[in-house]
Amino acid sequence: MKNLDSVLAAYLAGWAIFFVYYISVAQRLSTLREEVERLKALLTKGR
Amino acid sequence: MKSSFKAAILFVLIAVTGYLAFYYAPIERSMGVIQKIFYLHISCAFSAFVAFGTCFYANLRYVFTREAKSDWLGVSAAEVGLAFITVVLVTGPIWAHPVWGIWWTWDARLTLTFVLGLLYLSYLLLRSMIEEPDKRALFSALFGIFAFLDVPLVYFSIRWWRTQHPQPVILGGPGSGLEPRMRVSYLLMWGALTGVLILLVSARYRLEALRASVEDLRREAEVR
Amino acid sequence: MAVLADTTVLLGKELRTEFRSRELLTTTVVFILVVVVLFSFTFDPSAGESRRFGPGLLWLSFLFAASLMLQPCFLREQNNDTLSALRLSVRDPFSIFLAKLSANTLFLLLTEVLMLPVFAILYNVHILGVFLQLVLVLFLGSLGVAIPGTAFSAISAQARMRELMLPLLLLPLLTPVLIASTEATRALLDANPVLRADWLGFLAGFDVVFLTALWLFGEYLLEE
Repeated sequence: MKNLDSVLAAYLAGWAIFFVYYISVAQRLSTLREEVERLKALLTKGR
Repeated sequence: MKSSFKAAILFVLIAVTGYLAFYYAPIERSMGVIQKIFYLHISCAFSAFVAFGTCFYANLRYVFTREAKSDWLGVSAAEVGLAFITVVLVTGPIWAHPVWGIWWTWDARLTLTFVLGLLYLSYLLLRSMIEEPDKRALFSALFGIFAFLDVPLVYFSIRWWRTQHPQPVILGGPGSGLEPRMRVSYLLMWGALTGVLILLVSARYRLEALRASVEDLRREAEVR
Repeated sequence: MAVLADTTVLLGKELRTEFRSRELLTTTVVFILVVVVLFSFTFDPSAGESRRFGPGLLWLSFLFAASLMLQPCFLREQNNDTLSALRLSVRDPFSIFLAKLSANTLFLLLTEVLMLPVFAILYNVHILGVFLQLVLVLFLGSLGVAIPGTAFSAISAQARMRELMLPLLLLPLLTPVLIASTEATRALLDANPVLRADWLGFLAGFDVVFLTALWLFGEYLLEE
């Protein structure tokens, strides 16, 4: 089982990249949701 | 369907494909266990091309229809495609180091992948440098069209340039002459990654749609 | 034929503007000179080494110089608010691009031909016997740089950090031009010079592909 560590490293790195990307999108999404709430509150208050 | 439910299905799919790649598919005779990287590597490269193709389609559609939705699809596909390219560029050297003894070589396929990544990085950078939404959508779409047309030209120029050099031995690619259990593993891995592709693009698409509505709300707030 | 008539008029305007001040030409010549001299410090410029690296560094300096020289192409129109007037004055917006890219090709070719003897003396290569063939390579290569370059100068004029954006958009896309022109030039500067028809054909193909794309999408590039 030569090179098994390389294979594991490759799979780990690959899935980690997707995971990190997904987290970053989710984070940006939640910041924007807060922003929407804030802006909506602002607009209804001004009315 | 809730997105967490979709993610759970994907997780199961990934576990199954991992099992298939590691235990079900036989160990390749000449290369040994290191060949198992290919299941992820080649499928990711395939999915990246699908993503960039989608981006090209969205760019063309935007130029002719001017629907904001096409713009959102374009940026989502480009960004996710770049994530896939990153996986390809990371897993490739991990395979190459024990087999070729070097991390990187300027071979046609490797160089094409790299240049492709750079082109779409420029596409995303260009988007961040144009403020006005309509302008950003139009001009980035036009750049995307030019960039995609360049892909075959880059490929052929590098291939002719490197003809004297030995081609790397890539056994595989879901073609004929492949061991049946290996083929099943490839196909399922590709299926799982297509699932990942769709999940990521749709998440990114929702983000872009929300960003557009935030921009609208901001403008409305400023008018008051 | 209306396109050609308009193009001739506009080309005359472009040439008159440039030759009145010669700003673009002088700065580009000096820039290439600086790069060519600086490159000599990065390797040992003996005759053999120069034949190996010379063509590549020559084309790299042309590409960098072009990405700077193409900056003002549309920026000037935008700064002087003349773009809409320009668009109204022609029957087909393609003639604006045709005029500008012909002017840019001409300027590039002129600076390159000026720099060629300097390069030959500094790097000890013989160009006298193959001068006409070299000019042919320079022409096809410069056209390949000028076509997407003119298009992207219209794009980058809309962006922030435009001085950086144009090289970033243009240079990865020009990979095929760099490879093909470098190889063709290298074959001509060899001890037994040959005219590589395959690379020249490739360059011509590149020019045709992007000229067609510009013809199809040029009008959208001029939207404001």
